[in-house]
Amino acid sequence: MSDQPFWAAEDHPKRPLRVENGVQIHSSRGTVARTWWSRRFLAVLEELGVGGRLARGRSYARSGQIVSCEIDAGSVVALVQGTRPTPYKVRIGIPAWGKEEWGRAEQALAADAWYAATLLAGGMPTEIEELFAGLGLALFPTSQRDLTMDCTCPDATVPCKHLAAVFYLLAERFDADPFEVLALRGRDKDTLLANLRRRRGSGAAPEPEADRPVTPLGELLDSFYEAPAADLTRFAPARPAPGALLDQVSELPIAVRGRRVRDLLRPAYTHLAAD
Amino acid sequence: MARRLGLVLVVHAFWSPGRGPVLWAEDGERPATTSRRSLRSARPHPYAVPASQLAGIHPGKQTSVTLLLPSRASGPVESPELVRASPSGRRSGQVSLQPWTVPAVVVDPAELGDPAEDVRYGRSVAHLRTLLEFADDLAARGRVLPTVRPGPEARWRPVVQGLDAVARRALVDALPPIGRAEQRRAGDVLGHGPEPLVDAALDSLVDAAVRERLGRADEPVALVPPRAGRAPRSLPATEAWLAALNSPDPRFEAADRELAALADTLEPWDAITTEETGPARATFRLREIDTLHDPADPGDDPLDQTGDGTRWVLEFQLQSTEDPSLIVPADDVWSGRADRLIASAQELLLAELGRAALVYPGLTAALRQARPEELDLEVEDTHHFLTEDAARLLAAGFGVQLPAGWNGRKPLGLKLSVSSPGAPGVVTRGGLGREELARFRWTMAAGEDELDEEEIAALVAAKARLVRIRGQWVSVDQTALARGLEFLRRQNARRAPTVAETLAVAQGALDTPLPVTAVAAEGWVGDLLRGTADRTLEPLDPPESFRATLRPYQKRGLSWLSFLANLGLGACLADDMGLGKTIQLLALEATEREPADSTVGPTLILCPMSLVGTWQREAARFAPHLRVHAHHGPTRERGAHLRERLAHTDIVVTTYGTAARDIEDLESHAWHRLVLDEAQAIKNANAAPSKAARRLTAGHRIALTGTPMENRLAELWSVMDFLNPGILGTPERFRQRFAVPIERHGSPEAAETLRALTRPYLLRRLKTDPTVIDDLPEKIEIRQEYRLTREQASLYRTIVDDMMERIEDSQGIQRRGNVLAAMAKLKQVCNHPAQLLHDGSPLGRRSGKVARLEELLGEILAEGDKVLLFSQFTEFASMLVPHLSARFDQEILHLHGGTPKKQRDAMVERFQSADGPSVFLLSLKAGGTGLTLTAANHVIHLDRWWNPAVEDQATDRAFRIGQQRNVQVRKFVCPGTVEERIDALIESKKALSEMVISDGEGWLTELSTGELRSVFALGADAVGDE
Repeated sequence: MSDQPFWAAEDHPKRPLRVENGVQIHSSRGTVARTWWSRRFLAVLEELGVGGRLARGRSYARSGQIVSCEIDAGSVVALVQGTRPTPYKVRIGIPAWGKEEWGRAEQALAADAWYAATLLAGGMPTEIEELFAGLGLALFPTSQRDLTMDCTCPDATVPCKHLAAVFYLLAERFDADPFEVLALRGRDKDTLLANLRRRRGSGAAPEPEADRPVTPLGELLDSFYEAPAADLTRFAPARPAPGALLDQVSELPIAVRGRRVRDLLRPAYTHLAAD
Repeated sequence: MARRLGLVLVVHAFWSPGRGPVLWAEDGERPATTSRRSLRSARPHPYAVPASQLAGIHPGKQTSVTLLLPSRASGPVESPELVRASPSGRRSGQVSLQPWTVPAVVVDPAELGDPAEDVRYGRSVAHLRTLLEFADDLAARGRVLPTVRPGPEARWRPVVQGLDAVARRALVDALPPIGRAEQRRAGDVLGHGPEPLVDAALDSLVDAAVRERLGRADEPVALVPPRAGRAPRSLPATEAWLAALNSPDPRFEAADRELAALADTLEPWDAITTEETGPARATFRLREIDTLHDPADPGDDPLDQTGDGTRWVLEFQLQSTEDPSLIVPADDVWSGRADRLIASAQELLLAELGRAALVYPGLTAALRQARPEELDLEVEDTHHFLTEDAARLLAAGFGVQLPAGWNGRKPLGLKLSVSSPGAPGVVTRGGLGREELARFRWTMAAGEDELDEEEIAALVAAKARLVRIRGQWVSVDQTALARGLEFLRRQNARRAPTVAETLAVAQGALDTPLPVTAVAAEGWVGDLLRGTADRTLEPLDPPESFRATLRPYQKRGLSWLSFLANLGLGACLADDMGLGKTIQLLALEATEREPADSTVGPTLILCPMSLVGTWQREAARFAPHLRVHAHHGPTRERGAHLRERLAHTDIVVTTYGTAARDIEDLESHAWHRLVLDEAQAIKNANAAPSKAARRLTAGHRIALTGTPMENRLAELWSVMDFLNPGILGTPERFRQRFAVPIERHGSPEAAETLRALTRPYLLRRLKTDPTVIDDLPEKIEIRQEYRLTREQASLYRTIVDDMMERIEDSQGIQRRGNVLAAMAKLKQVCNHPAQLLHDGSPLGRRSGKVARLEELLGEILAEGDKVLLFSQFTEFASMLVPHLSARFDQEILHLHGGTPKKQRDAMVERFQSADGPSVFLLSLKAGGTGLTLTAANHVIHLDRWWNPAVEDQATDRAFRIGQQRNVQVRKFVCPGTVEERIDALIESKKALSEMVISDGEGWLTELSTGELRSVFALGADAVGDE
C-alpha cells in the first residue's frame, strides 16, 4: 500500500493524521463484505444511491483511521481520525427492536435450533429474513428512514467518507460474527444465548451444588432403607501417570533445604499408584 | 449360634462426622415393640443388638447413638432385610419419624470390606463400602492434594473432577436415608444433608487411604529431605507439615505466624476443588432402536425399517476432549445437567451441530426443533451415512460411534474351509503329496460366519444396500456380490488347492473379488497354520544308523522339518543356542537317505567359517554313513572336479564367502536342499552372501538360527523370503505393512499379523522352556566388580575431557565416529593402560581388572575347572596370553579371527579333552558362535560388548547341550565408569523393549552430548586403594 491514499491527492491537500493502534480492517484487498448478510446490510446504502462514495470509506477503513468502534443496541458509535487533531465522532443509528418484538424473535429462534446452530457455527441462514418478516420484523434496514447517520466532520455529503469507513468496518464485523447484526438490533450475543436457553425450557445455569435442598427424612419414610446402588464402574476413569495432578497445579513458593514442595511430594504419588 | 446370627441380624451403617463409620444392627429375635410411650425424647431401640455383641462381630469402640427412624407408636419399623423367626402380627398405625437411642460400634473403615458370614447387611453398608472404594481409588490415582486443617493437622484431601464428580454425584444420590439418620442435635428432624455427609466421609476416607497406601511401601516414603546437621528444637512449619503428611498422626506443631504463612501459601492448591469444565466436541452415535410397536397390533409398523421391529437413529452427544470417556447425550445437554461437566454445553452442542450440518447437510432436518437430540434415518440414509457421511464427519473432527459389528471386522467376504485327510502324525517320509487337500470348500461369509443358501439368496434379492445377517449388518454391493458368487462357482468346480495355495490364501495373496475374511482349516493343515504342527505331529525317530538318541523335542523338530520338506515349504528352525539344531538337521538328512541306496542328491550347507569343522565333526560322529565334503580353502575343487565329487556326496559344507566366490560352480547344480546355518548372515538382502544364497536352486530350503528374529524385522523378511520367496511381499510393502507400524508405533495388531504369517514356517524352542528341556543345568550370572588403579583413573579422565570436547565440536558421522572412538578408548583403559598406550610396556600391577582376573583364575584353576575368557580386543588378548601363561605356568589357548580353521578345530578338541588346557581365551567375534566348549563351566567376559545378545551367544559356547554342571558367567564391571553406566542402561533398555538394542553399539551414538557426558564421567568410587 502506498503512503499516499489514492483519494488524498484529489480531495484533500492534507493527509489525515496517522492513528496508532487504530481499528485495522483485516481485508486489505478484495471485497470486504464476504457474506450474504453483510452484503445485504450494505446493499441498502447502494439502494440509497450512495454506493459510489463508499469506495473512499473503504480506503479509510483499510488504512486504519478508525480509532474505536462500538456496536450497541440501535447504534454504532465510532471515532475516526481525519485531518484535524480531534477524531470525528461517527454515529450510525438503526431502530432497535423493543422488548415485545425481541420476545417474538427469541421465541421463533428458540423453537428452531437450526438458526442458533448456524449462527454459532459462524453462519446465518438466509431464511432468517423470512422468519423475522413473518413476525413483522425487518432484520436489515430497508430504507433511508431506517438509518440515521451523523459525523462531526465538516464534510456536507452524507454519508461522508468517515461514515463510509465505519460501514465497511461494520461489514467486516458482521462477516466475522453474524451475532453482531442481531446485537445492532438490540440483543448482544450473550444475552440472546441466555434468553434462548431459557426459552428452550432447559433452565438457567446449573444450580450450585451446595444449594440443593435437603429432603427431610420425614418425607422418605417409605424408602428409608433403600436407594439405587451406586455403580461406579460406569465412571471408571483411566489411570493417569502417578503425580499427574501435581503437574497440573502451580508450584508453591516454599522449599525445604532448597527442594521445592512439589518435588518433595512426588515420591508420595508414585507410591500411591503402586499396588 | 450360627443359625441365630444367620437368620436374624441385619447390620446397618452410617458415617458420623468426626467419628467415622458407625455400625448398628437389628435383631429379629428381640421384641419388636417397646412399652415406653415417651414421644419427647429418644427411647431405647427395642430390638437393636447390644454394642458388646456387635463388637464381637465387628470390633470397634462401643457407643450409643440417636437415630431418626420411621416408627409407629409401639416401635421402629423394621428394615426390609430383617427376617423374624416368629413373624409378629400385622402392624398398623401411622408411621412417623422418631428418635431412638441405639447401641452402636465405631469401626475402622477396613471393617466395611470384611463382612462376617452369618450376618445380613443393609444397603447402607454397601453404600459406605462403595464410598470407601471410591476414596481408595482416588488415592491410588493420585487425585489428592495435601492441605492444612485446624489443629493444626496435615491432611490429604480428594480432588474430585470430571468423571469423578459424576461418580461423587451418583454416590450422593445413592445414599439411603438410613445412612443420614443420625440425629445431629436434640429436636433435629432433617437429618444430615447427603452432600455434606458424603463429602465429609470422602474427605476422611481419602486421608486414611493415602496414609495406608504410603505405609504399605517397603521403605518409608521420605517427604522431608535429610538434614545435614542436628535438628532444631522446633521444626519449620513446612517441614513439620510434610512430615505429618506421612505419619500415623496428622497433627503437627508450628508457630501461629508460620502456620498462617503456610496456609496462605497453600491457598492456590486449596482453590482446586471440584469439577473443572472443559471443551468438548460433538459425537454422532448410530443406533438401531426398537420401534416400540405393539406386537399385538396386527397392522403394519410404519416405523419398522429393518423388518425386525427396529429403526435407525443418529444420536447427538457431546464428548469431552480432555477426557474422551466422558460422553454426554443431547438430552442431558438440553436439561442443563451437562453444564457441570462441560462449559456452555448447549451453545457448544449447537455450534457443533451447525458446523456438522455443513459437511453433512442431511443433519439439518433434525435441527428444526427446539431441542434436537437425534436424527431419524431411513435404511438408505443409514447406508449413505455409513459409507460416506461418517467418514466426512470424522475428517471434519467430529466423533462417530457405530453399532457393534460396524467396526469393519465383519465385512461380506469369502471363506475357505479345508481339511486334511488322516490323523495328524501319519505324515512321514514322502507320504504326503502336494494334491492331498481332498476336502475344501469356498463359501460366502460375513466375517467368520458362513452364509447358507437362504442367506445368500436374501442378499441377492436385497433391494436395500444394508442387509442384516445373523444379527450383523452387512453392506451389500450387488456387483461385487455377483462376482463373488461367480468366483465361488468356478473355484468349487476346480481341483483342490495345494497346501501352499491354502497358505497363500490365508496370507491374503490370492486375488479375489471379495476379501477373504476367514480360512478354516482342520487337521494338520490347521495345525500348520496355527504354528502348532510340531506338537501334534507324531515325533519321528531317526534311522537306526543314526548314532545319537534324540531328545523328545528334537524328535518333534525332526518330524516338523520332515513335514515341511514333504510339503515343499521352506522351514526356519530357530531353537535357542545349544538345543541342537545341527543334530536335528543331520537327523533329517540321515532319515531322507534311508535306505542307503536312495537317490537323494547332495544337500548344500552354508555356514560361517568357524563352523565348517563343527559340521564335519558332528556329522562324522552322529551320521558316519553320510558322505560329507567341506568345500573350503584354497585347494577346493572347482568345475568338473567338483561335479564329479558331488555325485558321491551327501552333504557339502561351505562358507558364505566361498559360496559367493564359487557361485558359478554351485548354482549350476540342482541341490536336494539348501541349508543356511547362522542364517542371520543373510540379514542384509543386498550383501554378497544373501545374493549368492538366492541364486542357488534347491528342492527345499532350511534356515538355522539361534537369534529371535521376531525382533529384527529386516532379518526376518530376508530369511523368510529366502525360504519361501514372496511370502512377506516386497521389502517396500513389508516396511509399510509391518516394519514401520511395529518398530515405530509398536502396533500389536501388525505384530500379531506378522506372527500369524510366519508361524507355519518357524519353529523356535527356548532353552528356558521347561517343557522343552529339564536337564540343562543352571547358568549363574555374576557381576564381577573391580577398581581402577590411579594410573588408569588419570588416563580415563584425560580421555573423557579430550573426547567430550571433540564430540561437542563434531556432528553427523564424524560425531558418531568420535563417540565410538571414545567408547573404545575408555574400554581399553579399563582393560589395561598398556592397551591404550600401545607401548608394549610390561603388564605388572597397573590394571585393577587384570589383578582381579588373576585372583579369579587362581581360584578357578585350584578347583580344577576350565574357563573361557572373552575379549573383543585382539591386542588385549595377545598381551594377556604370555602374562597369564607365565603367571600360572600353563598353556593358554587363544582363538581369534586370524586363527586358521585347522588350528581352531584342534584347539576346540584339546580344550574339550579331559587333560587339555584349562584356560581358553577367545575373541568375542571369532569365538562367539558355533563352537561347543562345554568342558568349561566358567565364562568370563573381560570387557563388555554393549549388546546382551552378543554376550549371551558367547556365553552359550559353554552353556549348551552336553554341559553337565552349572555355568558361572562373570562380566567385569568397574563401578563409576562407563562400564557400569552402560550396564545399567542396557538393563533398563532390556526391560523397556528388546527391540531397542540392535546388533552393534550404534545406538550409543544417538545419545545426546549431555547424556554421554554423564555416561562417560568417572565416579569417585571407580578408583581402588593401591
